[in-house]
Amino acid sequence: MPTLERLQEVMLKNFDLKAEALEPKARLADLDIDSLGVIDLMFCVEDEFKITVSREQVELDTIQDVVTYIDHLIAEQETAGPQKETAP
Amino acid sequence: MRRVVVTGLGVISPLGNDPSTFFDNLMAGKSGIKRIDADFCERLSSPIAASVIFDASAYFPVPKLRALDRVSQFALAAAGQALEDAATALSEEDRVRTGVFLGSGMGGANTTDEGYRNLYAKGSDRVKPYTVLMAMSNAPASWIGIEYGFKGPNVTVSTACSSSAVAIGEAWRRIKSGEADVMLAGGAEAPLNFGTLKAWEALKTLALEDAVDPSASCKPFAKDRTGLVLGEGAAILVLEEYRRVARRAARIYGEIVGYGLSTDAVHITRPTVEGQARAMQLAIKSAELDARQIDYINAHGTGTLQNDGVETSAIKRVFGERAYRIPVSSTKSMHGHLLGAAGAIEFVVTLLAMRASAVPPTINLHTPDPECDLDYVAEGGRLDLETKVVMSNSFAFGGTNAVLIARKPQFASKIRCRQGARQASTRVVGSGIHNFSAVSS
Repeated sequence: MPTLERLQEVMLKNFDLKAEALEPKARLADLDIDSLGVIDLMFCVEDEFKITVSREQVELDTIQDVVTYIDHLIAEQETAGPQKETAP
Repeated sequence: MRRVVVTGLGVISPLGNDPSTFFDNLMAGKSGIKRIDADFCERLSSPIAASVIFDASAYFPVPKLRALDRVSQFALAAAGQALEDAATALSEEDRVRTGVFLGSGMGGANTTDEGYRNLYAKGSDRVKPYTVLMAMSNAPASWIGIEYGFKGPNVTVSTACSSSAVAIGEAWRRIKSGEADVMLAGGAEAPLNFGTLKAWEALKTLALEDAVDPSASCKPFAKDRTGLVLGEGAAILVLEEYRRVARRAARIYGEIVGYGLSTDAVHITRPTVEGQARAMQLAIKSAELDARQIDYINAHGTGTLQNDGVETSAIKRVFGERAYRIPVSSTKSMHGHLLGAAGAIEFVVTLLAMRASAVPPTINLHTPDPECDLDYVAEGGRLDLETKVVMSNSFAFGGTNAVLIARKPQFASKIRCRQGARQASTRVVGSGIHNFSAVSS
């Protein structure tokens, strides 16, 4: 399944958002996902995509930004070998 | 002198999630204590508690719930009830002079427990991003402030089992002194997770499960008492300066007139007659009353070997021979020990008892202890009593003793009772708690 669809599923499940609101260009702030909400969202993303979100500051403004970032992390961490199991 | 009245109550409890259901169950002598239904109960030596039936999703949207520990959920739900009950209109200016004082002993203990379980038991290297914000003890009070825009003092008191009595007493002082006009005061606690239950078990202070009836395991003042039973919930009161209330047709549950605070300073768990008696005396003194005027005492009455004998002696020291003629009940026998929320929920009981001229019982007291020889209302709830002035005792590990005194409203100007404002919850009662019309004289 493409990253966007998987991310949309994560957001629907955990944040009680409407599916039609989750367009790639939708801004997170407009979905009431503030700076703390982004941290919470990325925590769910780690579980879904089995990746580790780095501590570097990344500007995540829209859903497409998150998709791009996830794809970047997947590519980076696939080359680096399997990640330690992180899911609680 | 500024006077402080209680105009709204909110309750989330093991015996119902509104004040009238809660009080009616107490008057009927019902117990909210039962066997714990959790996968870890096999590993508890005494798997009993007084838990709350609470559907969080009925109160909060899913995203918000992600950041709310159960203790904050209880606090917000109780605060919402209390404010609706008080029906007080708060302008932006009023909100700057409205504060929130809550007590909590363990804070977001479920979140702490879950975080540790993830790290230690499940071997994960991470905990939820909101862990700090959910576990911190001041989260419940902070969320209430945020939800309603209350910009006055927001303080969380943690003096173990007297936390919320102290919170109410200190809130009362803020209004009296003129620093605030409205205060939300009370407490919240949600300690029924494996780690916290084990910690209490280790202290050898929890009641053994009654072999015949687990719901009868807490037996305050009885010879066969074996300890306390942990409970969860929240109780929040709206305190207002009297002149605000006089301007509108408001229901008044009672006037808070006295607050006594003392410290044992002897031992981290063992109570003292001297410390408990001094808190009662200080409360009576601050109320400018005479000990002979107290009509009912809601005891701390934990059901532990230590407390009940000491509290009985302390009451006798304060009231002398008259101690034998004052009804004293421990409602912990029914709702369990709510720790940081205990003082508040028992002060709610005390106010409702005063208002109904009725006194709830101490249940499970079938085998008297010669050391505990007062009138503990063991035969069942009592109606048609004189309850003009009432007292609630809260004593704590750490030695902080807090006592609150309330009296029936007596004001020069007439205040009409707001009729039918809460008809949805005004069924009930042999106790007649809804028949009271505020005011007189």
